[in-house]
Amino acid sequence: MNKRGDKLISVYWFAILFIVAGGIVYMVSAFYGKPYDVRGAEADILTSKIAKCISEAGYLKDGVLEEDFKNNFIESCAINFQAEDVYDWRERGQYYVEVDILEFNTKNKLSELSEGNQGLKLDCGLEGEGFPVCVERSLYSIDENGNQYQINILSIVRKTEKNVQ
Amino acid sequence: MRSLGENKLKNKRGNILTENIIFIILNLVFLSILIVFLVSKMSAAAVLEEMHAKQIALMISAAEPGMTIHLDMENAINIAKKEGINSGDVVTIKENVVTVKLREKGGYSYSFFNDVDVSVYPDTTNPEDITDYVIKINNYKNE
Repeated sequence: MNKRGDKLISVYWFAILFIVAGGIVYMVSAFYGKPYDVRGAEADILTSKIAKCISEAGYLKDGVLEEDFKNNFIESCAINFQAEDVYDWRERGQYYVEVDILEFNTKNKLSELSEGNQGLKLDCGLEGEGFPVCVERSLYSIDENGNQYQINILSIVRKTEKNVQ
Repeated sequence: MRSLGENKLKNKRGNILTENIIFIILNLVFLSILIVFLVSKMSAAAVLEEMHAKQIALMISAAEPGMTIHLDMENAINIAKKEGINSGDVVTIKENVVTVKLREKGGYSYSFFNDVDVSVYPDTTNPEDITDYVIKINNYKNE
């Protein structure tokens, strides 16, 4: 009777082991099978880069409000939005940046700069992993004459196929 | 001279000991397989390729001309060596796309948005034991 009981316990023991192992295998596979989602970090870095390009040490850079800078804003900031040639990424841009420079007190818009795939903006605010990551930041800046500015930066990174399963 | 009862008791003790040993060995085998599975998943070439490609792309995106970055890639380089990939071919940069390749039929690419000219090469301070990669940000492309 005792021996039969022991065998029965062994069977249950192995059954539990298999269930635990199955759980571990499933969780590990799910964790390592998912790609690392770095779009949040990428959008943050993009925002910082744009901010540095427009304002340095709290001062608005010379020529930022001029038309010439507006037309070549991405080149002036040494940014290249060309993604790798997969999933039609080159045809459908994977980035979008929008910068609004406002007068600080009146909130009058002095300049509006944008570059990239504007269609991505429509997906901002939607919940779910399959949508682009949007990062919005505001900063304060002044010029040499003491004029105050508010700079709003919106950075969007898509690259969904390589960051979300 | 032993009695019949004493012999039965001894046989039973022997059986219990053998069963327990088999039981323990099976458990150990089972756990070992599980640990091997976990380690293989954690250090899988595909996982390391993706991790390093994205890591390098983000580092370059955030870097500025004049910076030199030393990146510890010992695990990845060891795997590449086992797979017959030259240490110098593990990380390559073409235009603005980083590719990390640790297997003959593999590789992972990720793009960076910083428009800079980048040099990437293994750190050969100790040629016998290459563990690091050097990423040098030279200058902006449109300068």
